[in-house]
Amino acid sequence: MILKIAWRNIYRNKKRSLITITSIFAALFLIILMRALQFGFYDKLIETVVESYAGYVEVHADGFWDNQNLDNSMEVDQSLINDIKSVEGVANIVQRLQTFSLISMGNKTKGGVINGINISDEQKITDWNKKMISGTFKIGKNEIIIGKGIAEYFDIKENDTLILYGQGYRGMMAAGKYPVKGVIDLKNPDLNKLGVFMNIETARNYVSSDEISTHIIVDKKQYYDEEKIANELTQVLSKDYEIMTWKETLPEIEQTITADNAGGVIMAFILYIIVVFGMFGTVLMMTEERTYEFGVLISLGMSRARLFGIIFIETIILSMIGVFIAIIITYPITFYYNLNPIDMATLMGEGADQMMEEMGFSPLFPMSIEWDIPLTHALVIFISSLLISIYPAIKISKLNPVKSMKI
Amino acid sequence: MIETKNLSKIYNPGKFEVNAVDNISTLFKEGEFTSVVGPSGSGKTTFLNCVGGLDQPTSGEVIISGENITELSGSKIINYRLNNIGFVFQAYNLIPVLSAKENIEMIMLLQGVDENNRISRTNELLNQVGLYEMRNRRPSQLSGGQQQRVAVARALASKPKFILADEPTANLDSKSTSNLLDIMSQLNEAENITFIFSTHDQRVIDRARRVVTLEDGKIINDNKK
Repeated sequence: MILKIAWRNIYRNKKRSLITITSIFAALFLIILMRALQFGFYDKLIETVVESYAGYVEVHADGFWDNQNLDNSMEVDQSLINDIKSVEGVANIVQRLQTFSLISMGNKTKGGVINGINISDEQKITDWNKKMISGTFKIGKNEIIIGKGIAEYFDIKENDTLILYGQGYRGMMAAGKYPVKGVIDLKNPDLNKLGVFMNIETARNYVSSDEISTHIIVDKKQYYDEEKIANELTQVLSKDYEIMTWKETLPEIEQTITADNAGGVIMAFILYIIVVFGMFGTVLMMTEERTYEFGVLISLGMSRARLFGIIFIETIILSMIGVFIAIIITYPITFYYNLNPIDMATLMGEGADQMMEEMGFSPLFPMSIEWDIPLTHALVIFISSLLISIYPAIKISKLNPVKSMKI
Repeated sequence: MIETKNLSKIYNPGKFEVNAVDNISTLFKEGEFTSVVGPSGSGKTTFLNCVGGLDQPTSGEVIISGENITELSGSKIINYRLNNIGFVFQAYNLIPVLSAKENIEMIMLLQGVDENNRISRTNELLNQVGLYEMRNRRPSQLSGGQQQRVAVARALASKPKFILADEPTANLDSKSTSNLLDIMSQLNEAENITFIFSTHDQRVIDRARRVVTLEDGKIINDNKK
């Protein structure tokens, strides 16, 4: 009966209820789509930068990150690999040997980052094999693949040779001539300008050491939290290793996301303010115009708690209808744009794709379909409804039935 | 039995005091059919509100079947009203979103009566007030007289010992008034329910077996027929 009274009271003033529901729906519709686009962009950004190079979690020898030279490298044995793989959520791991070198051809020289990699293992983590713009993702002994930026800088043609020159392990000199077998576009201008890839054995040979690695890149299973994995790795591994998430190794990405996210939160907050005041206005009117009726119900023997229950249910029904419609309508939209990302380059005009690429991210913006976006905002509306209900609760608790029936 | 002892209700105490009810001591026995009469502002409604536990008296006591209801507060007095006193108001005060049937049923629902008993009692009451055929109509689809008959049925739903009716015929035409008074008289005689009316209406006064006259919050005449 309480539910019936609440429902009929909503239906009693159809126009007002419709306006309230529409305002909740409209605000939530905008918030969900805006946040889905933002989170989709973050996911894409993380995918572009993290999944295609850095990995979600990295393991180094302790102190390597602050002083990145080969003397702070580590020897990776099977027991270390087993320990890392024993942590829940770890999908794949791959070793890399990374060092800085000069790259030279003809009269030109520039700095670069030599990446000694295991080709077959890398394909479990990165999608570099799909990013080759010339040659294939196969590197023989003493061969290299270079980033698109390096290729452009040196104007590389197939089978040109680059000279690498740097510091090896424990003060040894590192130097060698390597033919270029392919050019890769990592969709990140910095990586393209610096990246040189060779087999890890070739890299070890280059730096005069047979065993060392500088990085163990840890890939996580879908939906697992990298922070949790990093914490567990800290427990499992000895203090000889440092464990860092991508948020630490790529703080600029985290900062970009945090700054952009703050803008989204402020926008959502403004929309919430509008919708909450709209809801409050409705609840205020629902309460004030029915003061007489409340007096009658209390006179007849309805407890104040039950009376508050009616108003509370009305508030919740009103808000949840708006929330439900918004979720139902936004989900197919976000799902469609998740499968068919919005091409910002097309929307922004000629040259935008190149500009975005130079800034380090793809012009394709998918929408996120994570359920926590609509559910979080539904929860915000629900909590707002609870807070708004404080007003009728106070009003009903102080209601004098005789006075209210004199109105 | 309802007994009032030195019952007083003063509005604006200490400022511009109004003695709406001034030291009234009286007794309403079970099965009485009483009219409380008097000019506007004589304190009829305030007296009834204090007797029914809707308003807290400034001093004095209201004792119903041995229980001093002026000592009850909060949910206890609401619960007491629910189970012991039926109210009929001048403006009917039916819940507009509920049908005639649901308005009656709601009281029993608040009492926790099970569904079968609720339905049979509701149908019985609707038959008693002659509105069974109109049970599914909302208040807005009923005439004033029909609404007041639903209000009487609602007041009876909790099987109260007393029904307090504040000017129940004030908004009714003579035919509806006569019809309503017939129903109330029958219930009074058949079920021994005590009725106390506040009224200006001579037709009600004529049907009452006791007429209590108030003036300036005091009983100036108590006439039993």
